[in-house]
Amino acid sequence: MVDVNKLREKAKEVVSRDDVRLLIGYRPGTYGFRARPAFVQGPDEADELIFTPACVNNLATYITLEEKLPVPRGQEPDLRKVAVMVKGCDSRALVQQMEEKAYDRDRILVLGIPCTGVVDMAKVEAKFPGVLQRGEIALEGDRFVLSFNGSKEEVPREELVADKCLRCRYPTPLVYDELLDEAVERFADDDYSDIAELEKRAAAEKWAYWEEKFSRCIRCYSCRNVCPMCYCEDCVLDRLQPQWMRRSVDISENTAYHVSRAYHLAGRCIQCGECQRVCPVDIPLMELNRKFYKDVEELYDYEPGTSVENPPLLSTFKVDDREDFIL
Amino acid sequence: MAEKTDFEPNIVAFLCNWCSYAGADLAGTSRIQYPSNVRVIRVMCSGRVNPLFVMNALQQGADGVLISGCHPGDCHYMQGNYYARRRFNLMRNFLEYLGVEPQRVRMSWVSASEGAKWKEVIEEVVNGVKEVGPMDQFKRRQLNW
Repeated sequence: MVDVNKLREKAKEVVSRDDVRLLIGYRPGTYGFRARPAFVQGPDEADELIFTPACVNNLATYITLEEKLPVPRGQEPDLRKVAVMVKGCDSRALVQQMEEKAYDRDRILVLGIPCTGVVDMAKVEAKFPGVLQRGEIALEGDRFVLSFNGSKEEVPREELVADKCLRCRYPTPLVYDELLDEAVERFADDDYSDIAELEKRAAAEKWAYWEEKFSRCIRCYSCRNVCPMCYCEDCVLDRLQPQWMRRSVDISENTAYHVSRAYHLAGRCIQCGECQRVCPVDIPLMELNRKFYKDVEELYDYEPGTSVENPPLLSTFKVDDREDFIL
Repeated sequence: MAEKTDFEPNIVAFLCNWCSYAGADLAGTSRIQYPSNVRVIRVMCSGRVNPLFVMNALQQGADGVLISGCHPGDCHYMQGNYYARRRFNLMRNFLEYLGVEPQRVRMSWVSASEGAKWKEVIEEVVNGVKEVGPMDQFKRRQLNW
């Protein structure tokens, strides 16, 4: 885990540079051990930065939002760099965004944080009800240490760590200007066993499973808004002419919404798991994304967000792509 | 799925302007008899077919969707059908994963001279959809809550 003083020193140094406009990092949340994004604009603000296992947000989302800020009349756009702190999965979002030419590499400054896993708030809440509101969390070796009300609890890492971290292939950032800690080895891999299990079921059974999930959706669009890869200025879901998605919340429109969302991320999803984390009704969105991830890997030997030179999957083709399913 | 014998499916077919549409036209002018369940939508290239088109057709009551384009290498736009093939492969796997029978969403290559192949393709698609019955997973329907 990265040393907090070193992180603040580095942040101060970075944010005082003339060519840096803003540093995006984490700061303590309103209560308990939660963390929230911090937008640091001067060296004096850098002292509030932290990094703990509770820093779950994917800050790569804010880079593309920053790009979209409108410029008031008569003012020049601010072209200075945006600095951002990234974990392994977040850095893949940056890679994928650059792969799609969302912005230039020299518009951002990346502080890489080798990550040993973030905590899953839902798992913490289930194990220690109410602890989220008070207390602190730290990762010591392979155990999470939660301190609250003067007492200390040690929990094995596997029990509280987020599911995405148990499948993480790239804990060390893939792109960075500076690495704030020692690089960490890959400690897990995805065997897609749950996806394969669902694939084997009968069609009616699969649909019953998904119909129940989709019928819960309230179409709050949190999953879209939090996604670092959802940065189209004109979203197909918001369009009225043609209206692909009606605004009514019913099973047909919800299904269409989830199919479009998942398909839009085909060959682009970098497995940061943010969509599922923010979902207020617990739809297993990563099961949809990982289906595409698995297919793309098996069919086209392509892994999103791993190399800036890779062209995006669906804007390329090979003449000998599989076509045994074509009549 | 028994007793589906009197079920006549609605199939929406997206045909490329340069090959498949002409192929279907040839089937017509050559008086080849094929099932009348297909509603044809002409697009300029199979690469024009957005996955949302398929989704939307199924929502609006189609029981099956067919996407048809030129054979690889014959595309009027050089490579549109290759892109379509990639897109379709992912779409097909994904819909199957959600519980939509793979017989419902099909793709074929039919060239302008293949009126007879067009008939075979349509027969296969229609029979496949008849086998699995009406599609009601994605259909827009009245809510009762």
